[in-house]
Amino acid sequence: MTRYLLGRLSVFIIAVFLLTVFSFSLNYLFPGDPITNMSGIRSFQSSYPLMVELRGGDQNLAIQYLSYLQHLFAGDWGLSLSNGTPVFADGIQHFMASIELILLALLVAVFFGLPLGVFAASRFRQRSDQTVISLAMVGYSIPVFWLAQLMILLFAIKLGWFPITGQINPLYGVEPQTGSILIDVFLSDSEYKAAALQDALNHIVLPVIILAIMPMMLLLRLMRNATQEMLQKPFVKAARARGLNEFRVLVKHAIPNAVQSVLQQTTLIFSLLLTNSIVVESIFNWPGMGNWLIRSIFERDYPTIQAAVLMFAFVILFFNLLVELYHGWRFPIVRHEQYATR
Amino acid sequence: MQLLDIRNLTVEMQTAHGIVRVLDKVNLQLTEGEIHSIVGESGSGKSLLAKAIMGFINPNWQVTADRLWWNGQDLLAMTPKQRRKITGRDMAMIFQDPNAYLDPNSTVEQQIVEAIPQGDVRGTFMRRRVDRKTRVKRLLHRVGIRDHESIMESYPFELSQGIAQKVSIAIAIAHRPRLLIADEPTTAMEPSTRLQIHRLLARLAVSQKMSVVLISQDVGSILPETKRLTLLYCGQLMETGPAHDILSEPAHPYTDSMLRMSLQTQQELPHKARLPTLPGSIPTLRHMPIGCRLGPRCPYAQKTCVKAPRATHDRQRVYHCHFPLLDSSS
Repeated sequence: MTRYLLGRLSVFIIAVFLLTVFSFSLNYLFPGDPITNMSGIRSFQSSYPLMVELRGGDQNLAIQYLSYLQHLFAGDWGLSLSNGTPVFADGIQHFMASIELILLALLVAVFFGLPLGVFAASRFRQRSDQTVISLAMVGYSIPVFWLAQLMILLFAIKLGWFPITGQINPLYGVEPQTGSILIDVFLSDSEYKAAALQDALNHIVLPVIILAIMPMMLLLRLMRNATQEMLQKPFVKAARARGLNEFRVLVKHAIPNAVQSVLQQTTLIFSLLLTNSIVVESIFNWPGMGNWLIRSIFERDYPTIQAAVLMFAFVILFFNLLVELYHGWRFPIVRHEQYATR
Repeated sequence: MQLLDIRNLTVEMQTAHGIVRVLDKVNLQLTEGEIHSIVGESGSGKSLLAKAIMGFINPNWQVTADRLWWNGQDLLAMTPKQRRKITGRDMAMIFQDPNAYLDPNSTVEQQIVEAIPQGDVRGTFMRRRVDRKTRVKRLLHRVGIRDHESIMESYPFELSQGIAQKVSIAIAIAHRPRLLIADEPTTAMEPSTRLQIHRLLARLAVSQKMSVVLISQDVGSILPETKRLTLLYCGQLMETGPAHDILSEPAHPYTDSMLRMSLQTQQELPHKARLPTLPGSIPTLRHMPIGCRLGPRCPYAQKTCVKAPRATHDRQRVYHCHFPLLDSSS
């Protein structure tokens, strides 16, 4: 496991290094002055000469990169060009709001996608399997922006069950502290905490469901195929021959092995979730990273664009690292295949 | 009483070229605690026979038999659920490639524990855990694995083939089956491992009063303890009877050729001589000969061989041949 851990961690660190090199080079690729792009301080401002000195503007690229890294890890990501607030502090709030949405959507996707996939596999090529699979195909093919509008039309406008956009009704006066609305409600000293929580939950339902549908359908299909493949394997036949009932065969042998092969494809799901989250956040006016990124692109707010890109890429890398570590820890055969060690 | 009684078992497969009869009226009788070897070349339907007994049947196979009785109960008349219960309780099977038949993602201990019947362990939660562990250890010792500690924690991909086969035998005997079907358990193994597995099977047959059906590709690699022997060719029964009689005095030309082909039984082969094999090759499923399927390859075949021979009963043995090598008058 140590070997596997070190191997995966080193890959992760190299990827993060390349990521910082890329985001550093963005400062030069964006139009305008690189120091301005890095720090958000324009050349006519009085603190500009100090910035040039701090960021090594008169030195060579390597030193500039090192000082860039220094600032990056110190949490000094510059100031926004559009409103002059620190990008890092802003970013954390947007990040938390997005993560809240994404994690809940992931939870929903896993919670419904995996069991439905197993169900379809256990009824392979029967009518219920075909129904589930066709529905999954439809769900996977519907564009998210269109689905979101349809759902808003149906649930928010026609039926009026959920609010149309936003995180929470501003009347509750919940101060944004962490950015994640559910945590913020807990932290707030509002008199109507319970009602505010209910309102926040009510707001989050639609975006979570819409965000969850595509990864759910993807997971469902992956899981169905993997389970179906496992059910053909000799060890499953042997387990059946031992007189185990079908449920035990599924739970003890087919599902764990199917999960092992599905986990190898989770990269797909994370990138799908993150790209879709940009669309969903824009539609629901959710103050997350996606919304932030789109707005900063329109405003040509280069420090913010850079920060959002960095965060998105980091989230994907980090989630993948977590999944790989879990994968190696839970399924020793993975470690064996990659490094021939225990 | 007979434990397993099979009369005229026929399996037909639906293929792209019509229905093919892959097992043609095969008989098999088995008494308790006996070792029965089934020998045949590839494609002879030995594994299929085992699958038909265990009930691993694909939906496009048609299994019919005059009799498929287990311990006096008709297996063909049962619902699949009842049958799975009986086969799960009374029968067990081990296979040629043991690693593929073990779950790659659970430890040996977990897999053996799963095979121990629930009713065997009693007491409180902790007691049951300890009890299960000692049972696993005992089973591993019984199949000849000494360092149980490291094997119990191992995953199947960490085991050598011999050990994996022993583990799968341990799993198979965990619920004390009355019949163990071993489908070419040692085909891909080195001779010393093969010998170990064979000894283990023979010992288990005696100590557990368990019947063993050993399926093998050649006559040379059957157990010396084999009581009865059955030879199959292309799904037809060639000869069956007490192993000693058949090996010393084959009645069927096929048995004779198998014996002469087997390197283990053939001593006086001159230097650089050709191995005395039958001419031709095993027919494909699409082109099964009519009558006696050995016909086109048999050195003694004549015109009458296009009709399937009737069974000849000679004392304890049965053979299907128009021109047996035995002089039946003697």
